[in-house]
Amino acid sequence: MTQLLGRTRELPTRLRSLVARRAEATRQWAHDYRSRTADGAIAMHALVFGSVLASFLLFLAGSALTVFPVLVFLAAMGVGWYRHQAEAAKALTFLTTVATVGVLTLIVAFLLLESLPAVRAMGLDLFTAVRNPTMENPELGQGLWGRNGFWSLTPMMVGTAVTTVIATLIAAPVGIAGAVFVSEIAPRRVREVVKPGIELMAGIPSITYGFIGLTILNQYFYAEFRTPTIGTYFAAGLMIGIMALPTVVTVAEDALNAVPESIKSGALAMGSTPWQTTKSVTIPAGMSGVSAGVLLGVGRAMGETMAATVMLTHTKGFPSPVFDVFSNYGETLTTVIAFEGGNASGLQMSALFAGGVVLFGMVMVLSVGSQYVEWRMHQKLGGER
Amino acid sequence: MAQDSTRLSEYVSRRKFIAAASAAGVATVAGCSSGGDNGGDGGDEATTAGDTGNDQETTAGEQSNEMDTSVLTGDGSSTVFPITNTAASYWNSNPEAGDGDYWPTEWADEYGTDMRLADYFAEQYGYEPTGERSSPPFRVSIALSHSGTGIEGVMEGRVDIGDASASAAAELPDADKSTLDDFVNHVVGVDGQPIVVSREIADAGVESITIEELRQIYRQEITNWSEVGGPDREILALGRAEGSGTDTSFRANVFGDPEAPISPDQRFGQNQQLQQAINQADNAIAYIALAFVEPDGGTPPLDLVIDGTTYSYGDNLGAAEYPLSRDLHAYTWQNTSRKEAAFINFVLSDFGQEVFVQGNDYFALPDDRLETQREKVAASNYE
Repeated sequence: MTQLLGRTRELPTRLRSLVARRAEATRQWAHDYRSRTADGAIAMHALVFGSVLASFLLFLAGSALTVFPVLVFLAAMGVGWYRHQAEAAKALTFLTTVATVGVLTLIVAFLLLESLPAVRAMGLDLFTAVRNPTMENPELGQGLWGRNGFWSLTPMMVGTAVTTVIATLIAAPVGIAGAVFVSEIAPRRVREVVKPGIELMAGIPSITYGFIGLTILNQYFYAEFRTPTIGTYFAAGLMIGIMALPTVVTVAEDALNAVPESIKSGALAMGSTPWQTTKSVTIPAGMSGVSAGVLLGVGRAMGETMAATVMLTHTKGFPSPVFDVFSNYGETLTTVIAFEGGNASGLQMSALFAGGVVLFGMVMVLSVGSQYVEWRMHQKLGGER
Repeated sequence: MAQDSTRLSEYVSRRKFIAAASAAGVATVAGCSSGGDNGGDGGDEATTAGDTGNDQETTAGEQSNEMDTSVLTGDGSSTVFPITNTAASYWNSNPEAGDGDYWPTEWADEYGTDMRLADYFAEQYGYEPTGERSSPPFRVSIALSHSGTGIEGVMEGRVDIGDASASAAAELPDADKSTLDDFVNHVVGVDGQPIVVSREIADAGVESITIEELRQIYRQEITNWSEVGGPDREILALGRAEGSGTDTSFRANVFGDPEAPISPDQRFGQNQQLQQAINQADNAIAYIALAFVEPDGGTPPLDLVIDGTTYSYGDNLGAAEYPLSRDLHAYTWQNTSRKEAAFINFVLSDFGQEVFVQGNDYFALPDDRLETQREKVAASNYE
């Protein structure tokens, strides 16, 4: 306790010394930079950064003068590249990195800013309402999107959850099994053909999957099983699951491959069969990598837009019960943005942006989670390939 | 020899094109104000556009500074798009009188002119005829999106003409009166919005429904075809995207309120997708644009009974009192400029109504309304 108190008392002093140290380091860096860089290169750096900043600000202001700083930038870069190539390359690579991070920041800021009016008007109801309070006799899940100026994303969030769960139920088991076969069981020659083939699957544009889903899957379920509409959560989830498969297989296979050969050899030397080794040694050791693959696949399924947009029915509500995947409802966060973004205005547009924020948040959590899991695996297995 | 010279001229025009394109690129960077795409007809058109630009500049310089010869832009409803876009392509190609495909002799004779198409209509508004093919006095470029986008675009000054298949008031429910008053409404044609069903339903003997039954179907109060005299089969009620002009005017016309809650089973982004779904299904009903009805094909129309009157396709559907008929608008913002008036008058002309409106399976405006619309853009207002 006293120790803690003492440390708290020390805090201002420590902060002060930290600031002083940082200032000293900065001064040192500036000094080094000046003494180690030619005057021409310093001028070029100043010109390049200044003109980029100026063109960005002028562009934001919509000024016709934007072209001049752009020309200055091009000229400075051209001359700089000719005279001080190393410094020019340094500035250029730094600028591209700043641009990448800057674009991400601007997109996130724009999303948040645009969704603000909807959040302000609806409050938490935007994400949690299940009945429309402005209606006389509010039914569960009815009129949540736009009735009497009330906007709520809950039907779409349920839709996204339902399709993602279906897709995961298909992609995870099939994908993991495929990864185990390719990595552990298949002979080398088969692997050399199958692995690139699976990776090729990831390169097929999503609208192609969507077109197959629209013309074959939807029609099949409608004609053979008399689904109430042409297009259901189940059919869309099935297609999205197939689309997420290559991601799961590739990442999981890499993870299983990364399990060090010495561990497997050890198990084999102890007299276990190849299958026993796979089951009791390789899979548990590569488990975190495999789950990272599944998480990435889930992220892909959640963000999938094109196939779902052409396959779903675009009517909003809660299926009853919620796992009724053959109901006539069908709208996810991605599809509502794609479908209504073109002719939305005012609060509807803002609510669509809020949907984008929700989606962004969920996909970010998934991808950070999968990266964390992968990092854990590298820690555990020493990062050996 | 002749071949060589053509090749040379092609080469020259390509060089010109590159020069023009790069100039345009710089202009775009400088002003951040690209005027929308030109419909993307490829290099040939762009070449002529570059050439025209130069010619026009000189003409404008010699004539007077008042004549605005920049590109006239339009954007909006997919339903109105066929009308304005066909008109724009005729206008831009500026065919000579007697061109059998675009400006036939009969029409030119009726107007008593031997001038080129766009030259003739623009000249009434004081534009200098160019006398060249693909070189109208000013170019027109129409883009395709949605009614709401067109309305907003014209309001914010992004485009000159906003195509809309529903009124501005219905598209902008939150707008106040002074905003709505700034819209100048030009009606260029009429759509009938028929009710269509799947082939199987029509074959099973369903020929007509009442408007009350239609309302109940779209409120999910009637869910089986047997309730309206059809087979024992569930009804698949199809609709268009919420906020689309077709959806808005359907609600306004059938339910009396553009905000009326309707709950179709399935919604589609475009008429084409809707048509395909009706074809696929054997229990569907839908409201669709007139151009997508196939009486003997996959989308047979239903007769609609309203207050004892039966409206049927090809007969009195689309008559003035048919409640589902709707005007197709080309809005301008705060008055109509000379340039806008010249083009809208072109669409409203007898030639325009027959070729662009009826040619796209919509209804031409009746004579009295045509008169009113023409007066709004009459050339005499611009003298």
